[in-house]
Amino acid sequence: MKHVQSIQARFGIPDEVFKGLEPIQAQDTVFVGTREVMKFNAVNPMRRGIRLCRIFSYSTKPTTWAMQVLGSRATKNVIALSEEQARRIINGGELRLEADVEDGFVLLRWNEFTIGVGLYRRPVLKSQIPRFRAVEESSAEG
Amino acid sequence: MSRPARRFPKEFLDRYSQFIPDFSEFLEAMQTPLRRTFRINSLKTSRDRALELLSDLRPKPIPWTDLGFSVEDGDRLGLRIEHFIGLIYVQEAASMVPPLFLSPLPRERVLDLAAAPGSKTTQMSAMMQNSGLVIANDQSPGRVRALISNVDRAGCLNVVVCRRDGGILASALRGSCDRVLVDAPCSSEGTIRKSTEALDRWSVAAIRRFSGVQRRLALAGYDALRPGGTMVYSTCTLAPEENEQVVAELLRSRPEARVLPASLPGLKTRSGLAGFNGQEFPDSLALAARILPQDNDTEPFFAAVVQRAAL
Repeated sequence: MKHVQSIQARFGIPDEVFKGLEPIQAQDTVFVGTREVMKFNAVNPMRRGIRLCRIFSYSTKPTTWAMQVLGSRATKNVIALSEEQARRIINGGELRLEADVEDGFVLLRWNEFTIGVGLYRRPVLKSQIPRFRAVEESSAEG
Repeated sequence: MSRPARRFPKEFLDRYSQFIPDFSEFLEAMQTPLRRTFRINSLKTSRDRALELLSDLRPKPIPWTDLGFSVEDGDRLGLRIEHFIGLIYVQEAASMVPPLFLSPLPRERVLDLAAAPGSKTTQMSAMMQNSGLVIANDQSPGRVRALISNVDRAGCLNVVVCRRDGGILASALRGSCDRVLVDAPCSSEGTIRKSTEALDRWSVAAIRRFSGVQRRLALAGYDALRPGGTMVYSTCTLAPEENEQVVAELLRSRPEARVLPASLPGLKTRSGLAGFNGQEFPDSLALAARILPQDNDTEPFFAAVVQRAAL
């Protein structure tokens, strides 16, 4: 599917990450899950797997939750954050920073973990992480 | 540390002093706030790496699971980055037991009939290494939202979420599931340690009301099993009407069903009851597990493992 390929291409996610998984499109959203999840037809479920991306006329926006589990091997358009930066971004804030990435959607990494998706317009990084999940600001930040 | 002494309803004391051993210890434990416990999500990280990141909390292992831990100062566990990115799932220690009894394997088809908010769904998804299929169902719209949210955070790619009447869904899946978890809606006596509001709502009438729903779900869950498949029926309550009596009814309706031993190394359990209020239960219910709060410092729980006969 072209939307999966565009996400793989933008972030350098290898094919093996999607091995055994299938995408399915429902209106402007693509979901991804195991083959068994996609074949399930005993009843019509509310949800299959995880929402992979939203499709807009101008771009494909990957979701934080899918990238947390599928984005750990991404090699491009990834910005590494300190713990303090990660907390600020998770809580919906923005950062000003120089990063060796293209403008547009980027993956945000704390240690080896993808924490979610951001929107980078040099030099501003805006959080695209759902805001209903706050994390505690670091005690080290005061 | 105990809360100030709580007045339990006389009816509560009368019925449970009949069969709960070490009753004063039980009451003491029921008035003691629960410790905070969590499970490491093996879909997202390794046990060692999670423990390294959480070392400031000095997590203590829960004896019956490699991935479960308790912490002394865990009030802010849900506000940590590790929680946000799904490396850990805050889950009561006894609630980790039913999936361990069920032991789902990679590539199997598993039905979680009353799944919200998703602690056991996500645990089983991880046990299955994100393969196969977990059908996670809950009828309540609000609770299904929480279920989807937790499935997302835990990174479960092998889960479909349904919002159906459990009996109707199980009928549609008749004979097709390798394993079924019926963690039934219950009178939630077990949650008294979390909040004494459960005690304010407590009544024998509520227990009887839940019992009817539970009997229907247990039977439907059993019928969803393929021949040779295994079901765990569990609740976080003490009432025999919601536990042994439900399984006894199932055994009467499905005589080919058999109860298997429910035990885990490191978990102290008591046998299922032989009878209650003049009603005798089948001998095999002694193989079911009653988890009492004074034994493992958990909520009370009940679980029975039931196997459908192979063809």
